[in-house]
This record gives sequence, C-alpha cells and structure tokens, in this order.
Amino acid sequence: MNRKIIAILIVLALAVAGTFGYKKFIVPKGVEGEKEVTIQVINSNENVDESFTYNTDHEYLIELLEEKQEELGVSFQEYDFGKMVTGMMDYVVDEGNNEYFHIYVNGEDATTGPGEIPLNDKDTYTFELKTY
Amino acid sequence: MKVRDVVLIGILSASITAGKLALSFIPNVEIVTLLFMAYTAVFGYRKILLVSLIFTTTEIFIYGFATWLLGYYILWPLLILITEAMGKRFKSEYIYAAIGAVFGYAFGLFFAVVESFFYGIAYGWVYWVRGLLFDLIHGTSNFIIILLLFNPLKNLLGKLKRNYYTI
Repeated sequence: MNRKIIAILIVLALAVAGTFGYKKFIVPKGVEGEKEVTIQVINSNENVDESFTYNTDHEYLIELLEEKQEELGVSFQEYDFGKMVTGMMDYVVDEGNNEYFHIYVNGEDATTGPGEIPLNDKDTYTFELKTY
Repeated sequence: MKVRDVVLIGILSASITAGKLALSFIPNVEIVTLLFMAYTAVFGYRKILLVSLIFTTTEIFIYGFATWLLGYYILWPLLILITEAMGKRFKSEYIYAAIGAVFGYAFGLFFAVVESFFYGIAYGWVYWVRGLLFDLIHGTSNFIIILLLFNPLKNLLGKLKRNYYTI
C-alpha cells in the first residue's frame, strides 16, 4: 500500500482515538434525573444580587439558561468554540469596558463554558459581572 | 524592493485570503498553512513574512479587529520561520506535513495563551478545552492536505517562478 495512504490512515486513527479520549475523559458528564439548582446573578453596576432556584431535568447549565432565558434576561454570543453568556438580568456586558460574566460553581471558578458545566443537585452557579 | 516583488507579494497575499474564504464553510479545515509553507519553500521567508503581514491585516478589514488577530501576527510568521529553517535540512513532504499537523494541534493552545492575557486564565482554559476537537480536526486535516498537495504545489510554483518571475 502507498506509504502516504498508510500515514494518512495512522493519523486518522489517532484523531479518532483523540476524539474518543476527549469525550470520555475531558468533557464533563451530565447527570440524569431531577435536581435542584440555584442560579445567582451578581451585578454591582446595577446593584443586583439575586438568586433563583430551579428544579430541572437538564444535564448542562446552558440548557437551563436557554430554558429560563426570558426570566433570567440571559443573552448569549455564539463563538466558534460554543456559546458564551454575555448578559444576565437584561444587562449586556460592555466589551469596551472589558466587562464579562465570570462563572462560579459553588464559589469556585468554572473551568469550562456553560455548555460543558454539568448540573448537579444542590449546586449554585453564580454569574458575576467582572472586568479583566 | 522591485516592482515584480510588490506584485508577487500582492498576488500571494490575495491567494491566501481567497484560499481561506473558499474553505471557511468547513470548520478548521484550511489551506492557509499549506500555502504559507509552499510559498516559503519556493520564494523564501523574507517575502512571505510580508505576505503574512498583509494577510493578517486584510483579516482585520474583513472581520474587524479582535484579540485573536494579534495572534495571527505572531503565529503565521512563526510558521514561516519554522518552514524556512526545516526546509534547509529536510526535503521530505512528511516533515512539512508533520510541521503542519503540530501547528494545527497547537493552534488553539497558542490562542488560549494570547486570550488569557486579555480575559484571564479561566477564559483561556475554557477557550482551549472547548476548541480541542477543532484543533484535532485542524492538525489532522493539515497533515493530509500538506502530505498530498505540498510537493505538487511546490513544483508548480517553482515552474511559474522560473517562467514568470526569474526572467
């Protein structure tokens, strides 16, 4: 068999293995079933510090935000790597002033975007307006 | 700089922008890496560094200014310099394909570092992790495209250079 075809097949096999590894080990797993979660929004510019508790079957934070988009006044921006939250409680970040909504999960910095943050029972997801 | 160099740099810059736009409907499959590498191998790094400056600046005109474009001003010249350095030692298209693959796999990581300076480490981390699958597609497709097309393109450009440039 042509050497180039063999090389391409090897690289494709490695890519498939990499995709499998990414999905198996890196993407956080969602939890099925009903859970009670709290969404907290802090925006010191508007003197907002509100909490909302929901019972939901959704597995990821983004799904809950999309369902409650109107109530939470959420706005999103689509990037090539997924959706980011750009507004909460009808307040949209001013990118000119380097504002963004920082996400905490139970007070800890979130390490992924809302599309990969799994919802867990009794967890609190905080969106705080910050500047960088 | 001679007039023919100005024309050449303009044509090469336009071809890279056109090549990028032509494949922009497929996420992270591109021929920009292939073109930069082939152009560097045929015309040398000095001219192609200027091409990369024009290409990136054209991107700003098309997409507007964004922080990721700052990375372009570093990343493409880096690829050109690596291609030039490796080209002097190796002639095999497998080496170029491997460079393109590593470049694609590390693309998101590099931009994550750049973005971290602007938006913080947490954002950079999210950016990288969420883009890992895209990087995988990018590196793999780079390897295949360069392995199959680098030599034919280099030979064709060499012929065109002899016929129209080196008169």
